[in-house]
Amino acid sequence: MNVIEIKNLVKIYNSGEVKVKAVNGITTHFEQGEFTAVVGPSGSGKTTFLNMIGGLDRPTEGEVIIDGSNIWNLTSRQIIDFRMNNIGFVFQAYNLIPVLTAGENVEFIMHLQGKPKKEREQRTKELLEAVGIGDRIKSRPGKLSGGQQQRVAVARALASKPKFILADEPTANLDSVATTGLLELMAEMNKKYNTTFIFATHDQRVMDKARRIITIEDGKILNDEKFDR
Amino acid sequence: MKDNLKIAWRNLWRNSRRTLITAASVFFGVFFAVFMSSLQVGSFKNMVDNMVRFYSGYIQIQGEGFRENRSLNQSFVAGKSLDSLVHLQKAVTQTTQRIESFTLASFGNNSSPAMIFGIQPEKEEAISGVSKWLSAGTFLQPGSKDILLGKQLAENLGVSVGDTAALIGQGYHGLSAAGIYKVAGLLDFPLPELNRRIVYMNLATCQDFFSMPDRITSYVIMIDEVGHLKKTVASIRPSLNNELRIYSWEDLQPQLVNLIEGKLAAGKFIKGLLFMIIGFGVWATVIMMMYERKRELGVMIALGFQKTRIFIMLVIEAMLIGLIGVIAGIVVSYPLVRYLFYNPVHVTGKMAETYRSMGFEPLIAFGKDTGVFLMPALTIFIIFTIIAFYQMWFVARLKTVDALHI
Repeated sequence: MNVIEIKNLVKIYNSGEVKVKAVNGITTHFEQGEFTAVVGPSGSGKTTFLNMIGGLDRPTEGEVIIDGSNIWNLTSRQIIDFRMNNIGFVFQAYNLIPVLTAGENVEFIMHLQGKPKKEREQRTKELLEAVGIGDRIKSRPGKLSGGQQQRVAVARALASKPKFILADEPTANLDSVATTGLLELMAEMNKKYNTTFIFATHDQRVMDKARRIITIEDGKILNDEKFDR
Repeated sequence: MKDNLKIAWRNLWRNSRRTLITAASVFFGVFFAVFMSSLQVGSFKNMVDNMVRFYSGYIQIQGEGFRENRSLNQSFVAGKSLDSLVHLQKAVTQTTQRIESFTLASFGNNSSPAMIFGIQPEKEEAISGVSKWLSAGTFLQPGSKDILLGKQLAENLGVSVGDTAALIGQGYHGLSAAGIYKVAGLLDFPLPELNRRIVYMNLATCQDFFSMPDRITSYVIMIDEVGHLKKTVASIRPSLNNELRIYSWEDLQPQLVNLIEGKLAAGKFIKGLLFMIIGFGVWATVIMMMYERKRELGVMIALGFQKTRIFIMLVIEAMLIGLIGVIAGIVVSYPLVRYLFYNPVHVTGKMAETYRSMGFEPLIAFGKDTGVFLMPALTIFIIFTIIAFYQMWFVARLKTVDALHI
């Protein structure tokens, strides 16, 4: 079953008088439960591609169809609500809210969704335990290591029960031990919750875990391979 | 809202030193503004009270044209109906009637122009406390036909207490006014002009002198507080007959109004500068707070926080800084201002003489009206409202994807 359908996605940036085509007519789809890595050299357009799928960057042309509708037909406010209810994000720099504790960071989206307190607290506890840092629920991000912060970010991304999670270079700031742990965790979450994971990455260790690898170069899909893992 | 408040509060203490410095600038602004306003309000009230008590009263009723011509022909009879009308007003505390005119005072071969005041001694005393300026002799007794003279006038005439001075002038409708009166006492006013000119006598004696029985030139009204002035004037005015006019002290002493307005404008300018400096300081802090968290704000929007909520959160943060500063400013300034209100600073030496020569009590008075505290607080609120517009503009322009990749 397709979760996301991409049709002829194009993104052109105006850099002074020069027009740069960051994404040049990508058409593809993602299915429920995929664990996909979008790879390519720096400047190939993978982050822009993810941003357009995630409703963060408006495409110049093309459609991002989720649940049968093009998300780019929604208003700015509707897109924000759409992201809240359907998409989880894991960023390279963790991007946790520094004034909130690990637990509050995870609870944040559920709070925005209007979930009852009891449900929020229960799910926060469950998710932080699932990512292996249940004992750090009251710690602020500044008191956590990079690996721990990224685990909180994964828990936060899962908190809203999203249709898919977009992870942009999630392992770029982590050492090898933390990277291995995080990848195993995300693979486990992918299986446990059947949540679709789409990574933009350079990291070979991520590619080794991915069941599908889309290679992008100059804004176009160069290769799209599936693996049995 | 509770969440916005929680995040905003915690954000404030991420850089506690900066927050405290900014709140301190608001605190000092409020403190100095309160102190300055209190000093101005107190001084002006004292000034007005002195002048009003000494001379005009808060309100006067006069015959039409008297203010301009000072002619006895514009005198009037203050009947019982006028008394009833005035005393119907809740704010009215005291009234007195006067004749104010000019005459020539003479003793032996000396003569001098004089300003004559026909007064009701007991009522006048209750309002202006004129007897405190008595330097020799006794004050006017009700029914007495004696007079009081300004000390300098007595010296110029060469008259002493117990002597008899002659007064010569023009009475009502051009009738001749002349009489001899025993000097009961001398008054030593702080104002030289008064000392050189003033003659006090009983109202009835004065009416007799000017051949204008029952007539007066001024009906003086005191009220409980200056805030009730306009309402009282407005309430009396429609019921007066066509020949009478009602004036507030502001109408009667325009030079005092100009003096106060000039000083108030200068005060406002200084306070305006003070708040402008504070405003720019707070604005700089707010800009720093927003720009250093641009990525974080981008993340919040990416996760589902609507821009309106981001705006509310930022406004709450800024307002909290303002609130801390304002509350601290008022908490610290209130006891000081209150103390100074009840214990005004008494001026001594040459400064005191200057005060007296201008007809004012030699003291630095303070006010503690609500406005003294409300205005700085309101000004801070306005500054933060203007800053909120900047915050709104900032959030509206914030592009999530750009913010995320800073």
